Amino acid sequence: MADDLYSVLGVARTAKAEDIAKAYRKLAKKLHPDLNPGDKAAEDKFKQVTAAYDILGDTEKRRRYDLGEIDASGQERPQRRYYREYAGGEDGARYRSTAGYEDLGGFSDLFGDLFGRGGGARGAGGQRFAMRGQDAQYRLEIDFLEAVNGAKKRITLPDGGTLDVTIPAGVEEGQVMRLKGKGMPGLGGAEAGDALVEILVRPHPVFKREGEDILVEVPITFDEAVLGGKVEVPTINGNVSATVPAGTNTGKTLRLKGRGIKRKNGKVGDELVKLTVVMPDRIDDDLKTFAEEWRDKHRYDPRRKLREQA
Amino acid sequence: MLTEGDIVARVQHVTVTRLRVWVRAGWIRPVAKAEQGFSEADMARAALIRDLEDKLGFDEDQVPVLLNLIDQIHGLRAELKTMLEALEDLPEDVRATVKSRIAKNTPRKSR
Repeated sequence: MADDLYSVLGVARTAKAEDIAKAYRKLAKKLHPDLNPGDKAAEDKFKQVTAAYDILGDTEKRRRYDLGEIDASGQERPQRRYYREYAGGEDGARYRSTAGYEDLGGFSDLFGDLFGRGGGARGAGGQRFAMRGQDAQYRLEIDFLEAVNGAKKRITLPDGGTLDVTIPAGVEEGQVMRLKGKGMPGLGGAEAGDALVEILVRPHPVFKREGEDILVEVPITFDEAVLGGKVEVPTINGNVSATVPAGTNTGKTLRLKGRGIKRKNGKVGDELVKLTVVMPDRIDDDLKTFAEEWRDKHRYDPRRKLREQA
Repeated sequence: MLTEGDIVARVQHVTVTRLRVWVRAGWIRPVAKAEQGFSEADMARAALIRDLEDKLGFDEDQVPVLLNLIDQIHGLRAELKTMLEALEDLPEDVRATVKSRIAKNTPRKSR
């Protein structure tokens, strides 16, 4: 049921009775089920509009609706009972506070005797001001692989206490973890604050990440580039063997499916292996002779496109 | 006992999220920690907080101050009521004595 019957009919709260009737007839003509066979939406709307008109079209019902005595479905709305009606009763006792009698000097003893207070001000069954504890902020620096695979860490707090933090796999730099109830204690029975732990991730010499994917650069030899073959590739879960296709160039990227970050929510990333062809440290005579002979018979031009487009 | 759902259904413009924030802040303290822990007084208190925020325009830093004062007033009223009831039970002459003492000790209102 709509909250506001006037908006159902599209009229102002101050609309005259005949305008309301006019608005209703206009909508009813448009929405009537017999004029819209098979249109369920129109039928529902028609019912809504009619129900609204049943109330707004009736002077007495409209008056009571405006006063809040009946709700949009025409039901009697229960009279609101204000908090003050409960506050003095048994149910309200736990909220009542009588903090702040200390300044009554000698009389406070009398009050204390009369109302059974211990030294401090405290009402019969009442509570003092309650406030949730403050949140406490910490920073935790972890290794790249701990961030990627998840880990359990322990923070030592300034007061000597400790805080155990379970790092979920795939946590990101700057992410803040909220540990419920591990902050400062609350006052007057309210709950403790939370501990907010900001995660800092130390970079890794080999791995980088992009979302759930892990990026790694792997050098291959000149002959592996030409002939192809198996090479050993590091992943976040140890080395695996990857196949380099024959004729691989620097910059070619292999995708190792499912070798990236495995999130708890089931998301799994890949590892992207960027290959770089690396010449031997010393070019010996064999290679030199081979290259010269090969060049004479198999000249090719990798820079043609570059020239044309520059 | 009332549930979160009962409160949200019966107090307009109060959502589960809002109600939980208030409980977390200690503004509403359900009797039981379990879900079915709210009393009629808690529901009326939720309506009061809603009015303070929505209708009277107080922000969430100001609400606990107001609640604290309201709770103090009701605490004092309850104790005053207890005192008056006790006075009521006293013999007529003692009541008269107390009455005259109170009159003597009440500072005159300056006009």
